[in-house]
Amino acid sequence: MVKRPSDDLTLCGECHQEIAANYKKSLHYTTIGQRNRVVKRMSAEETKVFDEKVFEKSCRSCHATCGDCHVKSPSIGGVSVGLIDKHKFVRKNEGKTCAFCHGGRVYPEYTGEYGGNADIHYQKGMMCMDCHTMDEMHGDGKAYAQKEEVRDRPRCTDCHEPGRETKLTARVAHLKHSQTASCFACHSAGEYRNCYGCHLGGGSEAKPGFFLGTSPRNRKEITTLRIIPTVRESFKPAGIQQANFDALPNYWDAPIHNIRKRTDRTRNCDTCHEDRKGFLTMETLLKNSSRTNLELIHKPKPIPISK
Amino acid sequence: MIKAKMKAMVGLLAVLLILPAAAFAGEPFVTTEWLQANLSKVTVLDVRKVEEYNAGHIPGAINVFYGVWGIKKGVLLNELPADDDLKDILSANGIEPTTTVVVVSKNETMPFRTDATRVAWTLRYAGVENVAVLSGGIEKWEAEKRALSKDAVKPKAKAYKGKFNKQYIANKATVMGALGKAVLADVRAPEFYKGEKKLDFVEKTGRIKGAVNLPPGALYNADGTYKNKAEIEAIAKPVVGADLNKEIIVYCDTGKVCTNWWLALYDLLGYKDVKVYDGSSMEWLADPSAPSEP
Repeated sequence: MVKRPSDDLTLCGECHQEIAANYKKSLHYTTIGQRNRVVKRMSAEETKVFDEKVFEKSCRSCHATCGDCHVKSPSIGGVSVGLIDKHKFVRKNEGKTCAFCHGGRVYPEYTGEYGGNADIHYQKGMMCMDCHTMDEMHGDGKAYAQKEEVRDRPRCTDCHEPGRETKLTARVAHLKHSQTASCFACHSAGEYRNCYGCHLGGGSEAKPGFFLGTSPRNRKEITTLRIIPTVRESFKPAGIQQANFDALPNYWDAPIHNIRKRTDRTRNCDTCHEDRKGFLTMETLLKNSSRTNLELIHKPKPIPISK
Repeated sequence: MIKAKMKAMVGLLAVLLILPAAAFAGEPFVTTEWLQANLSKVTVLDVRKVEEYNAGHIPGAINVFYGVWGIKKGVLLNELPADDDLKDILSANGIEPTTTVVVVSKNETMPFRTDATRVAWTLRYAGVENVAVLSGGIEKWEAEKRALSKDAVKPKAKAYKGKFNKQYIANKATVMGALGKAVLADVRAPEFYKGEKKLDFVEKTGRIKGAVNLPPGALYNADGTYKNKAEIEAIAKPVVGADLNKEIIVYCDTGKVCTNWWLALYDLLGYKDVKVYDGSSMEWLADPSAPSEP
């Protein structure tokens, strides 16, 4: 018996040559995106230790072989939910082929099973690959450092062209916010999963939450933020103090997959402009967290009333 | 004389043949046999997950997942979407007030079984007149080796113009005002009704003061199909009384499971004023000022 036979991509590559070659460099296979982000919190010395003791032994265990998506559930934390369809190779069955790994946050948020509001695209019968391309799954042959570098990613405007709204109020609202708020900021239905306090070997705690603030990657834009569970002590067991912990915030801009046409923010401007519902504040900010978080706090201004 | 008898026989036969095709007002639980015979005349609404629907569904069925119909509002689970959102869902799926809809869900557990009844009640609330659920669910259809399709159906959109039946829903204030007047039917298992058990998301054990108990499982045969009208009537009457004009408010933990008894009482047995308390125990038992017992 060969353990994880498709771990060696040359085996599948005998027939699927191009896919295997691309996949070898893909973020799904290398998981290098995780590494490249978190090491910004570390000194050069710490990065060496991280690569050796943490990334290769822990993070990399999540990398997906061909079989992890197309035959059986990968083992996550030592737990596998078994074969997809006996021992058959399954080309596409997103509820399994994608949700085996993305079933903690994105997928249950999309179906509404986490948070209680199904995404409008799921309502219409759309699955992952109706927006996400095969190149995103297998890679396009380039070795990206992290997913934000990938140009050909789905955008809301690929289908929803601004200016073609039937309702004038929607057209005006989109025009007004097009440079200042992401689509998710107004159209995310509500709470999504946030993980707190990740410790090497000890896991983290998950709770529903909803956070709006300045995007750490586009400071001109307000968007939905998801908590990054990395805390100052996360890698302490490996002897890593994270010398540059404050270089990154504890929140990333997150494309929450629970989109609805109407939300309390699209129904009433006051939800943001008066009540500031969901916006990060000094009071709600994570305690003992990165100082960079302060830069994400945004206070929407009241809408001036014309005389 | 013989000719007249023949005519009468033909007439009776015609009526019998036409009957199953007619709207099934008063019959909220239809059998797989009935559905098979009437498949071309009804809209089958499959409320399972998209991937389950794609793997095989009743031919011609449309799919709108349960999570679209029963949403989270604040802390409350399984609540109605806003009326405009509900209209959008119905419009996108070409459901009209006169459309005959059969809702299909999984049947293996009470939460799955009542996915169908909650959606059926939601459609009735939105003003769709003829709605039923498939007795025995998709499992019975599959077990009987009836046809399944993998072709996803794209319904033709049509603007929904039904009149919403606001009298089918109760909020906390309605229940408060009905204490001591209406029949409050607690549709939870007896141990929950008696205050011996509770679900994690319900604040405390107990029931609404003065409530009677209509266990949700009492509606079903051992194979998960619905009991017949006489059997259901025999269970309901001693609990809620025989007065068809009496106001009845059904509730459970979240307002979902109790919709099975709403369909039974209102559509099957003809009680004329039956409401669902959407907030149910989740809302009531979290409010220290709301009277509860024991």
